[in-house]
Amino acid sequence: MSATETTTRMQRNGIDIDDTFAEAFPMKATRLIITAHNDTWAQHAAIAATGFATSVIACGCEAAIERPLSPDETPDGRPGVAVLLFSMSGKELAKQVERRVGQCVLTCPTTAVYAGLKDGEPIALAKNLRFFGDGWQISKMIDGTRYWRVPTMDGEFVGEETTFVVKAVGGGNLLILARDTEAALAAAEAGVAAMRAVPGVIMPFPGGVVRSGSKVGSKYASLSASTNDAFCPALTPLARKTELDPGVNCVMEIVIDGLTEADVSAAMRAGMDAIVARGAEAGVSRLSAGNYGGKLGPFHFHLRRILGGEGAA
Amino acid sequence: MSTRLHLRLRQPPALRVSLDDIVPETGADATEVARRPLWLGREAVELGELFDVSAQALAGDATPELVIEGDCRRIDDIGRGMNGGTLRVEGNAGDYLGAEMLAGEIIVGGNAGDLAACELRGGRIEIGGGLGDFAAGALPGGMDGMRGGTLVVRGNVGARCADRMRRGMLLIHGDAGDFLAARMVAGTVALAGRAGAHCGYGMRRGTLVFAGPAPETPPTFVETRHDITVFWALLRRSLAYHGGPFAALPARTPRRLVGDLAAGGKGEWLLPQMD
Repeated sequence: MSATETTTRMQRNGIDIDDTFAEAFPMKATRLIITAHNDTWAQHAAIAATGFATSVIACGCEAAIERPLSPDETPDGRPGVAVLLFSMSGKELAKQVERRVGQCVLTCPTTAVYAGLKDGEPIALAKNLRFFGDGWQISKMIDGTRYWRVPTMDGEFVGEETTFVVKAVGGGNLLILARDTEAALAAAEAGVAAMRAVPGVIMPFPGGVVRSGSKVGSKYASLSASTNDAFCPALTPLARKTELDPGVNCVMEIVIDGLTEADVSAAMRAGMDAIVARGAEAGVSRLSAGNYGGKLGPFHFHLRRILGGEGAA
Repeated sequence: MSTRLHLRLRQPPALRVSLDDIVPETGADATEVARRPLWLGREAVELGELFDVSAQALAGDATPELVIEGDCRRIDDIGRGMNGGTLRVEGNAGDYLGAEMLAGEIIVGGNAGDLAACELRGGRIEIGGGLGDFAAGALPGGMDGMRGGTLVVRGNVGARCADRMRRGMLLIHGDAGDFLAARMVAGTVALAGRAGAHCGYGMRRGTLVFAGPAPETPPTFVETRHDITVFWALLRRSLAYHGGPFAALPARTPRRLVGDLAAGGKGEWLLPQMD
């Protein structure tokens, strides 16, 4: 029996829902709108700009595509992509935005970039990238917003001068305990697909899924995080403490960053609903979540409360 | 609580009169306003001698209003330095209308004189008729012209309009006189009618949009042929908001000229109607 499971059992469609919570942290976030001549080039820019941004542990920020945008949703009437970037501080986020937009959006053919939030703390977007224009850049104020036009070999790059940073929530998560890799992957994919329909959230890991869930600390002093041994099936008979039942041979985690606590909660709900709808026959036996005892992060997402079932407070 | 102050000109004064202390935030006390001194030549007269003054309270948190009625062609400085509220002139206005204005809105039903919107910094001015010379330019002795806000003119403008303009948006539904946007530093001017001679003379930066007939290209302006689809989409959407001839500018990328090459060449002319 799992250490997180209480005497009261909650099941949905044959899947056990642990009486536990995901522990999340305050982060700083911004939304960027990247547009291009067509969907393909908008995607190229967005994918590049949000690359190597799975975890703040070593990437500087967590970033991903929020959703594609139709031409009538973008400032310049072209196809676009909304991306969200999260970091632990506004200063680090400003650095990441400048580097990523400068190297991945400015460089990508036909793109333009705009702020996707209209309130918050302003940070530079194209403000400093304009110097690439070597004096040929043009500033333009349109309806109170300043844009920079930088001559490039394909014409010109247009970027809004600033974007806005808001307080956000990072590290919401869902652990999927399954009988094998096939079942865990299929459930994770279904969960991520449902979460992607929720606005204001991203799942920053590859495909939205992480297999190397971590715990805080390590036996090696230089490491701040190491493998979450309590959820590793390889260590079920070896580790001092395990959270896995017999029959659980693969665990996948979905990590969620959101602009608000409500967004993260809505995404977790959507993900759990999608996994539960597939039923225990699909190979998932339990849903759980990662936390640090509630001492580190102020945002606690209780699985049972989110599902609104028994044990919900 | 906000108020609407109403000034009705009894008859056009014999001499020019400056109204620069009377703005929408002036206050609700009609008696006090009527006692304010105005200069009629060398003679100080009470405002109440020239205008019928009345005031009424507005409901809720409505912005303060000032309504000026009558043929005010000799009343200068209307809305000068205004910093909020709404000012309506039901008739014509004199010189310096909305000069140095910071915020708020001025709506003039008729024409206004010279130097309107000079050194405008913010807010919005809409003129139902036309303007005299030197609109949106610099005040005498000033270094820069209009530097913010929006000026919409439904009629024609005189010479030297937008001279040394630095920022903001100016839309002219009619024709413009000579030297439109000469020595322009930055900002946007959109013209629906015909431009006079020497348009854009010495312009350093800024954008001139010719929604109507294209002027003759001066020798110090040259064409660029790069893709400005994005910028045009942003600008076109903003211009369309003002309606009239700007509501249906073609989506295809306009012809673009840059100049004045004698002044750096970073200004641009956009010619959307030309194939």
